[in-house]
Order: sequence, then C-alpha cells, then structure tokens
Amino acid sequence: MNNWGYVISAIAIMGLVTFGLRAAPFLAAKWLQQHTLVLRLGRFLPLAIMVLLTVHTLAGNAQSHANGPWPELAAGCTVVVAQLWRKHALLSIVLGVFVYVAFRNQWVPLA
Amino acid sequence: MTKPTLVGDDASLSRTPWLLSLPVAMGYIPLGMVFGFLFVQAGGPWWLAIASSVVVYAGAAQFMMVPMLAAGLPLATIALATAVINLRHVFYGLSLLDRLPKPWSAKAYMVFGLTDETYSVLTTLPAHTSTQHMLAITALNQAWWVAGSAVGALIGARAQVQLVGLDFALGALFAVLAVEQWRSSSNSHALWTAMVSYALALWLVPHQALLVAIALSVAVGLWLQRVPKPSQTRAQSPTDKDIL
Repeated sequence: MNNWGYVISAIAIMGLVTFGLRAAPFLAAKWLQQHTLVLRLGRFLPLAIMVLLTVHTLAGNAQSHANGPWPELAAGCTVVVAQLWRKHALLSIVLGVFVYVAFRNQWVPLA
Repeated sequence: MTKPTLVGDDASLSRTPWLLSLPVAMGYIPLGMVFGFLFVQAGGPWWLAIASSVVVYAGAAQFMMVPMLAAGLPLATIALATAVINLRHVFYGLSLLDRLPKPWSAKAYMVFGLTDETYSVLTTLPAHTSTQHMLAITALNQAWWVAGSAVGALIGARAQVQLVGLDFALGALFAVLAVEQWRSSSNSHALWTAMVSYALALWLVPHQALLVAIALSVAVGLWLQRVPKPSQTRAQSPTDKDIL
C-alpha cells in the first residue's frame, strides 16, 4: 500500500471495469433485447454469483485463523437470519460483524 | 440493499431527492466509514481511500480491494476480481434502458453511479420523474458514500486498534445481497447450483475455486434456462417484462 503508483493504477482500473459493466447494457441494448437467453441468464446469475462470493469470502476468512469455521458460521447465520427477518441491510451487517469480532477477539470463548 | 417501498405511491412525487436518498445514507455512511477505516489501517493513505470512493464507487469491490492491494496482487487479478464481483451490474441497466435522461453527461454520470442501492431507488420511482430528481438522488447517494469513506479514513489514520474481524463486513455485505437476490427470485435453482459448484470446485481446483465455480454455475444456468418455462421465470419488474 506504500506504492502509490500501484494503488492509483488499481483504483483507475477498477473504476474503468465497474463503469464498463454498468454501461454495457446501454451500449448493447439492441443485441441484448434480441437474445432472451441473455435476459434469462440475467435472472439466474446474480443470485448464483452472490452466493458464491459469500461462501468464498467466508471460506477465506475461516482459513485466516486457527479457530476453524465456527466464527464464520455463527456470524454468517446471524446476517442471513437478520436480513430475512428485518430486511435492514445495515442492521444485519452490524450484527454479523459484532458476532464475528466477539468470537475472533475471544470475548466469547470457543470450546 | 435498502429497498424503500415507493411503488405506485403518488405522494413520492412530492418527495425531495433528500428524503429518497436518506435510507441509502443510513447504510452508505457507516459502511463507507468501515471501508475508509480498513483502507487506512491496511497502510493506504487517507486521500486514496477517498479517491477510491470517488472513482470506483462500488461497495463490495472496494472492500475486496483492501486485502488484495495489501498483498500486492497483480493489477490483472484485481481487474478480474472486480469484473466478477460487479458482473451483476450488467443486468441493472436492462431495467433502466428507456428511463435514463437524454443529455449524455447526465446519462453517463447516472450509469457510473448505478450501485445496488441507487438501482433499487431509481427503479421504484414513478415513470415521469424528472431528470433533475434522478440525477440528484444518484449524486447524493455517492456523496454519502464518499463522506463516510473520508470520516472512516481520518479515524483510521489516528486510531491504534487491536480489533480483528472488522473485515467480516465484506462477507456480511455479500450475504445481505445474496438474501435480497434470493428473495426476488422465483426459485432456488441458482442458490443450489452455486453451493454445489463451489463444493465441486473446492474439491477439484482449490486454488481457483471461485473462478471454476462461476464457470460451472454459468454452464448450469445456460442449461437450465435453455427452454423458456413461463411458470418458472418471473419478471423482476414491470420494465423487465416489457423488454421480453
């Protein structure tokens, strides 16, 4: 993170990639509207990718410390249940992070 | 993530962009703060945390960039990861194709600012909402995100925190987005496809599990969607249905 040139390049590239993805349907509107398969995939993929990113991120967290997947499972379930119940994104995230931080800092001892 | 319920509400016409972007502010300011904080704690300068929120403006991708930059991963890897995480944005524009303003500068900025939250607010506005209102909502939403990042970065630059686990915010954000995607889909095929794909990928190619799992999911998705099944495919919004 001390190499500013590297960080600035990364920010520029991420900005371009993100803008490109958001702009794509406006540039390819005609083509997309003719291909119903693309539209149907558009309904299928977002959920699949979000689930994959969730599982992959939690698996990565679980491998970064010795206490196995228990803090990740407890905090992950907290987020999912809270979001299903209250539909309040911030509340779900804060609760999940709190549970996770509590486990990781041994405020709650792991058996 | 936050979904204001304004559908078919005539009273929403009289609402100012301030009021409409308020629920987004409640999420963006604290989440932006966590991003700015983590960025600075990982060793980045505060002004680059703010620059990220101005130039990239994508919550999940920005959270992901912190450990990747700290590890000094190649730019191509970071670009690919950004594309995977933000792939869902390709489908957002589909329901707004005819709704964005005509002037190219206003349109370009609104496309740039089409985050999950801005998308969810814009798609609930009445069809005749003025360009100025839509533009103001988009800009206000980004202002909250940038302001949150700045505050978090400035706190992070001074604080000596020994707390581990704040980075769980990224996994939590993904989980929230997954729950909302699941809520708006008509069945759970994509959910199970993703789970099984990831388990398979982790077993076969543990070092490229995510990419392989995405490829598997796309393949299964194409196979499942090859025949139109009206009973199983439900339009997500009226505009979406118009396109079909």
